[in-house]
Amino acid sequence: MENNVLTYRAAGPLLSLRRYGLLLAFLAVCIGLSLTTPRFLTWQNATIILTQVSINALLAFGVTFVIITGGIDLSVGSVVAVSGVVAASFAHPDTYPVIVPVVVGLLTGLAFGAFNGFVVTSSKVPPFIVTLGTMTIGRGLALILSKGRPVSNLSDAFNFLGGGKVLGVPMLIWILIAVFALCAVILRKTVLGRYMYAVGGNEQASRASGVPLRTVKMAVYTLCGGLAALSGILLTSRITTGQPNAGLSFELDAITAAIIGGTSTSGGTGTMTGTLLGALLIGVISNGLDLLNVSSYYQQVVMGVIIIGAVVLDSLNQTKKA
Amino acid sequence: MEASQEVVLRVRELSKSFAGIRALDDVQLDVRRGEVHALMGENGAGKSTLMKILVGLVTPDTGEVWLENQSLAGLSLREIRDRGLSMIHQEMLLVPELTVAQNLFLGRESRLLGWLDNRKLNARAAEVLSRMGLNLDPARKARDLSIAEMQLVEIARAISTDARVIIMDEPTSALSDREVAVLFGLIKGLKARGVAVIYISHKMEEISAIADTVTVLRDGRYIATHPAAELSESKLIALMVGRELGTLFPETVSAAGAEVLSVSGLTRAGAFSDISFAIHAGEVLGMGGLMGAGRTEIARVLYGLDQPDSGGIRFDGQAVRIRTPREAIRLGIGYVGEDRKASGFIPKMSVRENLTLGSLTTHVRKGLVSASSEGEAVTRMIESLKIKASGPEQEVVQLSGGNQQKVVIGKVLLALPRLIILDEPTRGIDIGAKAEIYRLIARLKAEGCAILLISSELPELIGLSDRILILAQGKQKALLPASEASQERLLHYAMPA
Amino acid sequence: MKKHVLLAAFAAFCLAGCQSSEKGGAQKLVIGATMLSMQNEFIVNVNDAMAKKAEAEGVELITVDAERSALKQVEQVESFIAQHVDAILLNPCEVEASSPAVAKALAAHIPIINVNSETSTQPTAFVGSDDAESARIAMKFIADKLGGKGNILMMQGYMGQAAQLKREQGAKEILKQYPGLTLLASQTGEWDRAKALSLMENWIQSYGSKIQAVFCQNDEMGMGAVKALTDAGLKNKVIVVSIDAIPDAIQAVKNGTLDATVFQNASEQGAKAVETAIKAIKKQAFDKQTLIPFQLVTKQNADKLPQ
Repeated sequence: MENNVLTYRAAGPLLSLRRYGLLLAFLAVCIGLSLTTPRFLTWQNATIILTQVSINALLAFGVTFVIITGGIDLSVGSVVAVSGVVAASFAHPDTYPVIVPVVVGLLTGLAFGAFNGFVVTSSKVPPFIVTLGTMTIGRGLALILSKGRPVSNLSDAFNFLGGGKVLGVPMLIWILIAVFALCAVILRKTVLGRYMYAVGGNEQASRASGVPLRTVKMAVYTLCGGLAALSGILLTSRITTGQPNAGLSFELDAITAAIIGGTSTSGGTGTMTGTLLGALLIGVISNGLDLLNVSSYYQQVVMGVIIIGAVVLDSLNQTKKA
Repeated sequence: MEASQEVVLRVRELSKSFAGIRALDDVQLDVRRGEVHALMGENGAGKSTLMKILVGLVTPDTGEVWLENQSLAGLSLREIRDRGLSMIHQEMLLVPELTVAQNLFLGRESRLLGWLDNRKLNARAAEVLSRMGLNLDPARKARDLSIAEMQLVEIARAISTDARVIIMDEPTSALSDREVAVLFGLIKGLKARGVAVIYISHKMEEISAIADTVTVLRDGRYIATHPAAELSESKLIALMVGRELGTLFPETVSAAGAEVLSVSGLTRAGAFSDISFAIHAGEVLGMGGLMGAGRTEIARVLYGLDQPDSGGIRFDGQAVRIRTPREAIRLGIGYVGEDRKASGFIPKMSVRENLTLGSLTTHVRKGLVSASSEGEAVTRMIESLKIKASGPEQEVVQLSGGNQQKVVIGKVLLALPRLIILDEPTRGIDIGAKAEIYRLIARLKAEGCAILLISSELPELIGLSDRILILAQGKQKALLPASEASQERLLHYAMPA
Repeated sequence: MKKHVLLAAFAAFCLAGCQSSEKGGAQKLVIGATMLSMQNEFIVNVNDAMAKKAEAEGVELITVDAERSALKQVEQVESFIAQHVDAILLNPCEVEASSPAVAKALAAHIPIINVNSETSTQPTAFVGSDDAESARIAMKFIADKLGGKGNILMMQGYMGQAAQLKREQGAKEILKQYPGLTLLASQTGEWDRAKALSLMENWIQSYGSKIQAVFCQNDEMGMGAVKALTDAGLKNKVIVVSIDAIPDAIQAVKNGTLDATVFQNASEQGAKAVETAIKAIKKQAFDKQTLIPFQLVTKQNADKLPQ
């Protein structure tokens, strides 16, 4: 036993290199950008990056929950649009207090999430197909509700959510920190969080251990829908208009952030810190490429390389473990 | 039976660690031309790691392997195979859509491009097969073969590559008695041609029937090599376990208390019908029968995994309906399933997370899982069941079969069940861990737990149970006190009419 | 007597029936229209104008939505040909990929009129506006405001689309005429307001007070740029001009946050397209190319736009 403890400790640095690989990659990119442009490492740019990342990060948190249980949610981009349009419709000046658009928007997203969860748990249709369906439904509803036109003229109070500052720090960053903490606690400290890993790790064994599969799945999809709605409300507030075309292909960015962050698409693994780092890495690179004025064409190539690199890294880890 | 003295495969000072756990420690092995060399050891003794190193799947930390005095260090899987060392896998590696002949020569087709001449291929395959005394059509597709036939094709493939050493890892696990006889005949033929066989098996009778030499590994270390003829079964077990086991089945007193569970007329169409029995606190009810007799199906219904079509279940005298495992757990029923990998544990989770999965809600403080409460329960269970792991955070998938089983049992115990259903609890685990599980059953029984023990091993049923229920083809055939049971009698009941 | 009445009635009925069927078969013209995307506000407006004009002229208009797929569009034109429509209005999805549709219609001797944007195969006629012209107008406005000297940023549409390419080309022409103008950077905002907002934030971080004007290839991006500049307190120092004159942008021009937008006349395009098609069917003289002029919208004329 003593021997075991010793050898285990000796293997420590290697293990941590793997665990902190993403953090190292992130720091390396930051250092590289700091050396190439003096505009990168400033307080102001840090707030810009965090603000820009927040919308995608909130989506990615929700998607992380779903992927950990072995599912997938493609509808989040559309939910961003619907809940944004719904919230905007209730956010015109001198109509309702600001809480109304927020609550109505959130309820819209939660309803979409619950619907996803309901269909996934009560049919044998794979979540990929179910959420592909709701993705289209959501986009259609957003266009119907807005008649295809942006919903503009929103109250100042509503626009403050995504555009205002508290103590010199943008609201979006405060919200990002709060939601991150909440999601991390749910995942790491609650029974629900533990059950998510269990369901994604081995559904059959989870059921035999008394894990309520249906409840867990309903919970993750609903949670994911709610976070997508929050994301949509904040996006609407940030650009001061409810756009039926908002959030197009956001689901891909969110899934990418989660996967770069070490969430395995086969389920059972993933952390909120990883996902946050994944979203930050994407944000920092996109910000840095803009600062360096790299051509739009090359930006896409760079992003693609990073995505593949992250997933290859992930699969290497998987085979090493096996 | 005479093996020559010439060593074909020599292994020296082999060591290998995984994730800080020493899997092999200074292991040696000498395999002589034309001998059947049995490799014995409990699960986790290092046999599979050794085999993986031999065929080139795993690189050792230190040490070396020589085949006919040439070092295999740094060679690829394919290069090692070409030098004459082949392995027959437990998992079949034949390509289902290809024919027997195509599988035989897969990867060794004479031309890479151009037409493959199937007729020539079949002729060559027929020649190889007939040389082995096998009556197999080379043109049949692999997916149409029985498992035994597939295994024979695997062996034929090894022979046709001109193998000097063939490793067989539990080759009889899926074979019928007649097929085992064919296999043994084949092995004798191999010996006669000077081919050495490294034979891994848990079955003592196979070792005494076929092995010339036995090497024992324990805890990753080399223990001893003896001629098979000089080893008695008990001596072999002692070498493997490292101590005398004493009596395998602990003595217990029957002190059955109040009835915990009873079923009457329980029926599930297509699985079992009209089953009635009761289990009492502090009692072990054994359930025996052949494969497919309906034992696991009954357990699944009692645990809420399936629903009965008719009949009643009473728990503590109350009529109950058990719709989900969650409800079963809440009543106080625990279930250790027969298929550990598929439904026992979550491989990516740690020992800690697996242990508390069924009782997590009891550790909640202010809405969150309390790390101290959980950690305390985990430490207690690891000590109580003597689970061998580098720590509570080690992933369960890295443990040996016996320790994985202990984790599954520990998970069930932490939910404080009053009735435990153990479905083949000792399948595929080594004899040392088996003995520990037997002692655990005795302990639980003494603590007043009711136990439903499903087992295919008759000595286990007789040795541990107070009463035994025998099923055949989904019907209840007998319910008798263990004192009146003999293997012959139980078998008689278990045989289909 | 009774018999005669019946006969007369029957004859009258028959005559009326023959007449009406003759009128429907030979005289009521059918025009098929395939539109780039009915999710796009501008395209919907063009189509509305087509429908209005068709009704006024007594022509039947069949509208289908290509949903941005050139392949779908080609199939739609094939089915128009099979239905023997009298003319086809094509609002192309892509320059190259929609071209086979034009070739097929011409081969079937059905007049095909391209609306709003071009294909590489020459159609019977083209009705629309020169996208490059809109960018020239916008850029010219910036050049005049800056007195021919200053630093400019250009926000591009979705890279590789006809509108993006044309608008970039027009902007570059003006830049060439004014050597005093410097293009600091040009990046894509993918026609999207949120993306444009982020891009503008990054530009402000990168170029700060050096920025004097921003040209955005559509109003959505223009609105995003205005938002970022306003948040950074730079709006009154930077000129922002964009294209399309969507309601939000016109409102912003009225409020003075957006300096100018360029109005593309959807109803003129729609009406002229139908008019040209009818002339082509009737073999009357028509213009091979009808260009509807753009109109610069500033605070002075924002109230007087045709709706």
